[in-house]
Amino acid sequence: MGERTEQVITLSLPSSMQHVYLLTAVVTEILKETDFDEDTQERINLAAIEAGTNAIEHGDRENPDKPTIFQLILTENELIINTADEEVESRHKESETEQVITLALPSSMRHVYLLDVVVTEILNNLDFAEEIQEQINLAAIEAGTNAIKHGNKENPSKKAIMQFLLDEDKLTIVIEDEGEGFTRKEVADPLDPENLLKSSGRGLFLMEACMDAVTYEANGTIIKMVKYKKQLTVNS
Amino acid sequence: MQVNLRHKGSITILDIEGKIIGPDALALKSIIDQQIQAFSSETEQGENLNLILNMERVQMMDSTGLGILVAAYTTIRRTDGRVVLLNLGGNIRSLIVMAKLMTIFDCYNTEAEAIGHFL
Repeated sequence: MGERTEQVITLSLPSSMQHVYLLTAVVTEILKETDFDEDTQERINLAAIEAGTNAIEHGDRENPDKPTIFQLILTENELIINTADEEVESRHKESETEQVITLALPSSMRHVYLLDVVVTEILNNLDFAEEIQEQINLAAIEAGTNAIKHGNKENPSKKAIMQFLLDEDKLTIVIEDEGEGFTRKEVADPLDPENLLKSSGRGLFLMEACMDAVTYEANGTIIKMVKYKKQLTVNS
Repeated sequence: MQVNLRHKGSITILDIEGKIIGPDALALKSIIDQQIQAFSSETEQGENLNLILNMERVQMMDSTGLGILVAAYTTIRRTDGRVVLLNLGGNIRSLIVMAKLMTIFDCYNTEAEAIGHFL
């Protein structure tokens, strides 16, 4: 693990009270990395809920189309929670109805747990079957790991940005890194008998197996994954 | 993730709990490697590592975790030891099936059966 410097985690949420839990889940997870005692952690968490509620209720007047952006700045002895005025790009947004949640992380593998917390919380509020939730969670972890480890080479000054686009009929996850990219075709097939016993190289395969569609853009530095909410068919 | 180490006769059992993802997957690798190392000097005297990975309380595992299981399998086999998986949950089993590794691993549903593998 490298020298501990300032870590800035950005979370952009639709301004709706239903998303405050995401902020608190992220704060709780970040606090696990700090030396604050349990009482202090609880007080920080309470303050985060108040700050989140205030920003959403009063700042953006609960307008889900307008994001509320939080910057969580973690230094050696401080956690600063800002309502950021810096707009996080959401150029992957396709329609008017969808809600966008964005998480921007410094590229350190320990932040995979933050991604896991955010994905789990988002999925808890979507009506996917449990088995499908597990698949989406796995695909998101694989994509995040890919961006942090292979894309950004675990350089904490480079960001891994995950966007979750919530639509009525589907969930889209877009992962962007600041790396040099890769060509999908050149990545070996892990199911090839000669690769079966290799200890790595299954990430992209698992993402594709778990999601309904995976596309690679900008030389693989942007990966877009879609899972559709299947309609129930009723036999008459 | 938490790992509890216990022994039953000549068999080493790792009870794994939580999510085998990110840095925790690498932590599991170092725990397994320590066991392999501990036995490597004894191998010459006929002692081999017989390892059970109890996955009953594993909620999730990613490709890094899966790769670590594969590495454990190949390394332990090379030293004439054996590794078996115990109590795979539905999602972990699906992951292993998807990766076409079900034929590689010996999997059991009870500890008694897993121990029986080594007898």
